[in-house]
Order: sequence, then C-alpha cells, then structure tokens
Amino acid sequence: MGLKGYIHDIVEAVVTTAKGMRITARYGVDPKEEVTLQYPEERWEIPQGYRGFLHNDIKACTSCTMCVKVCPVDCISLEAVRGADKKMVLASYDIDIGRCMYCGLCVEVCPPKSLKHTSGYEMASVSRGELVLHFVPEDAAEIKARVARQVAEAAAKAAEAAKAAEAAKAAEGSAEPPKPAAGPPEPPPATEKKE
Amino acid sequence: MESLALSLVKSFPVLSAAPMWAVSLALMVTAGVVVLVFALTFEGVGSLVLRKVAGDIQARIGPNRVGPNGILQFLADGVKLVLKEDLIPEKADRFLFKLAPYLVFVGSFAAFVVVPFGVGLSPADLNIGVYYVMAVTSLVVIGVMLAGWASNNKWALLGGMRAAAQIVSYEIPVGMALIPAVLVAGSLSLQDIVRSQGGLLGLFGWNLFHNPFTFFSFILYFTAAQAETNQTPFDLPEAESELVSGYNVEYSGIRFGLFFLAEFGDMFIVAALATACFLGGWNVPFFNAALLPPLWGNLLSLGVFLAKAFLMVLVMMWVRWTLPRLRVDQLMRMSWKYLVPLTFVNLLGVSLWLLLFRGKGIPQMIASVFG
Repeated sequence: MGLKGYIHDIVEAVVTTAKGMRITARYGVDPKEEVTLQYPEERWEIPQGYRGFLHNDIKACTSCTMCVKVCPVDCISLEAVRGADKKMVLASYDIDIGRCMYCGLCVEVCPPKSLKHTSGYEMASVSRGELVLHFVPEDAAEIKARVARQVAEAAAKAAEAAKAAEAAKAAEGSAEPPKPAAGPPEPPPATEKKE
Repeated sequence: MESLALSLVKSFPVLSAAPMWAVSLALMVTAGVVVLVFALTFEGVGSLVLRKVAGDIQARIGPNRVGPNGILQFLADGVKLVLKEDLIPEKADRFLFKLAPYLVFVGSFAAFVVVPFGVGLSPADLNIGVYYVMAVTSLVVIGVMLAGWASNNKWALLGGMRAAAQIVSYEIPVGMALIPAVLVAGSLSLQDIVRSQGGLLGLFGWNLFHNPFTFFSFILYFTAAQAETNQTPFDLPEAESELVSGYNVEYSGIRFGLFFLAEFGDMFIVAALATACFLGGWNVPFFNAALLPPLWGNLLSLGVFLAKAFLMVLVMMWVRWTLPRLRVDQLMRMSWKYLVPLTFVNLLGVSLWLLLFRGKGIPQMIASVFG
C-alpha cells in the first residue's frame, strides 16, 4: 500500500462516514419515518386469508375426522359417537392451539367448511395445558352416555314397534313394517368457546 | 478554591469567625456535590436522549411509556438498577470484583474537576488541566481490566483486555490532537485555553478556525476520543454480538450502574474537552461574558458552555447510531497506522504555523488586513 492508497483510505473513510451520517440525520429529523405501531392501542389491519386461531362451527361439523387425519402436528383431537339416527354426534372437539402451526391444511380439507381460521391472535396462559381450545362445551362422557341412552331407547322402540308390527301382522296378516319412531337426538347447545 | 473562599469571607463577614480551612473545605464539598449531581443528572437525561435519538434514527419511537412522552424513563431505569440484586460470581475474586467499578467511576469523574463550566466556574483550575484529564481518564483502564479479570469469565476477560489495548492505543492520538490547542494558548490550564479563544473575532476566534491544522486536529481528537471512551463505532470491549457485553457481563445492580454512569461521564468529558479546546469553551460569540456582573456572567457562560457540550454529545450519539462496529484488527490499524501518524503530522503543522506566522491564526490575519 503506497502513499496513494493510504490517502485514498482516509478520504474514503471520511466520505463514507459523512454519507452514512447524512442518511441517519435525515431519518432522525423526519418524524414521519416512524414505523412503530403502538400495539395494544393501535392495531394493524388483518389481511384477507389471515390464518389466526382455528374455529370449528360444531353445528355444521360432520365429525368426518378429515382434519384430524390431515393435521401434521396432531393438534386436533375429536371424539364422536354414532347417534340414534345414524349421524355422528360430536362428543368433544379440542384443538391444542399451542401446538398448531397454522398450516391451514385442516381448513382446506374440511368437507362442510365448518372449520375456519379466525383473525384472532391474542391468547395468554400460565401453563401450556390452558392453550387447548374446547369447542364442545358439554362433558364428553355425558354426551356419550346421553347418546347411548337415546340409541338404546330408539332400539327398544324399534324392537317394540317391530314386535307390535309382527303381532299386528300375525293378527291381520298384512301390514307394512313401521318406521323407527325415534327422532334425531337433540344436538348439544352450540355456544362458542371464547378464548 | 481558596481565592473563592477568601472572597466569600470578605463579602460575608460572619464567616470570618470560622477557620479558613473549614470555609475552604465546605466550599470544596459543595462544589463536589454540585458537580456530582450535575453529572448524575446528565447521565440520566443523557441515557434518555440517547435512546430517543436512537429511536428517531432507526425510525422508531423510543421510550414513551414512563411519564409524558417517556421523559421519566431514566428515573425508572435508575430505580431498577438500584433495586436489582447485587450478584458476585462464586469463583470471582471478590475484592477486585468490588473494587473495579469504583476505579472506573472515579477515573471518569475525576476529570470533571478541571472542566471549565463558566467564567469563574471551574471546580479547580489546575495549571496542568489537559495533562490531568489525560492522566485520570487512563485510570479507567485499570478498572476495566480488573473488572474483566476478577469476573472469572472468558467474555469479561476478553472484553477487559480489548478495552485496555484500545484505551492505551488511543491515548496517544487523543493527547497529540489536544496539544495544538495547548500550543495556541501557551498553557495547559483549560481556563487559559478557553480565554485564549475569546476576543472580538467571535466565532472565528475559536481554535477550530485558527488554522487548517487545528481544524483537522479537532476532527482527529473527536474520532480518537470516541474510541478512547469506547463509544459505539469502537465499542469493541462490549461488543454484544461477540462478547455478550464485555467486561461488565458479570456485574448487576448498582455496580453495573457505576460502569454505566462512567460511560456517560466519559461521553460528557470528551464533549467538554472538545468544546473547551476547539469550540471556544464558555466564550459567547462577539460578547465578553467576563465583563458582566459575576452572577450573570457565570450563568450566561455556563449556559453557552453546556449548550456547546451537549451539542457535541448529540453529535457523538449521532455517530454512534450511524456507524457499524469495527473489527479488532481494524481498530488497531486505525489507531496505529492512521490516527497516530496523522496527529503527529498535524502537530508538526500547527507548530510550524505558529512559528512562521508568530502565533497568528487565519481570522486574525484577515482581520489585521482590514484593520
């Protein structure tokens, strides 16, 4: 490095420092350059298609378990029993939101489109166990017991009806078999579990 | 200080009952407390301004939660520092570990003694002022090295060693860049240096405009002093990205607070020296503050001095948030290959100028041409 290079280095150091300081001065003086969002008071606009917390509309859910199968991190757990009308009844539908990675596969795959991403992103808890979202407010065992009772009742009614029909058939000789009398089981009250 | 005591006794005859040494002592303690309070306030407000400036430059807002617009943030910080647990690592050398922050603090604060705050406002106008500042600020090296060594931590040791190497290296360019001001004034006393820059030339009486070499020496001094006080482009000793936080990693609570205070104290000392030696100190342009009644003259000159010094502090912060950190070898190269030779050449230039033009600066020559 000769004298020329030496002087060149010095000049370059001074020039580049001045250039940098001009840029920072511009930012320092201009108050409009602030990009900070004062979060709890100010919110940004949630974009369309934002993947926030999952929400399952359990009235529309068919308990098909597609979401459970497709979830890469197994954060959805679903329990369902077959009701008296042969439809599936949700006993419990839990999403471990602490484990969810918001990939959106479950939403894409959901046949009745009951599972949706909401715009929610705020949740806090003191332990990881509290990060589970429960969508069926009633106790799973209770629902199961109730559905089992209804199924049994329906079966008993059907058997009775069949017996009566048989008896009637035997008595009259010609009668159509009656339809099963049991109506669809009452769906559990669908109140959303708020986080 | 004794002359002040004498004048005080003269103006208040009641005091003559007390022995002379007692009045002097009381004055010294008062001056010490005033300067300490000033320094602590400066550090508090300085840390807030530093963060606000950082916010502005980085297009953020900065602290704005404590008090209106965040102006009480420094109080919250101070309370936090005092209340934190004072930890001493198990394997640390307890005595040295406790001693180090005080050495750093004292080294930084002893320099406040000679700062010429105003016409008659200088805690002690030593006739070796500049030399004294250079000497006591070197005490910081010992404290920093002790802190690094006594912590028994590899990052702290590396940081301490770097700090020592850096401060020792940059001591030379800092001293050599200050000497031109001493040469122009013909005195090492900071008050004399400030007085030499007064006169009717106003702004152009400052050493900054005395001749081209003094202008360069101001820039060289400012650069080297930033490095000597471990300011950001040269903050190798506490490079967060590589050394966690350097020599003060193991410190917490009030001991860490002392390091922090010393850093801001150094910042002010650098700004104050730059002001006193090159920017005319407390001289009000085109106006002689010494002619006013003592109270008003002192207040006016104090205000002017502080305004200049704080402006320099602001420039230091500006540089701090602009430039990225240097590498260790770049730092050493900058000192030994660039700053040291340049300051020596510069010193030679100033000496030759003073010899050739009989101590006259360019503004004086222009003024004499026009009569």
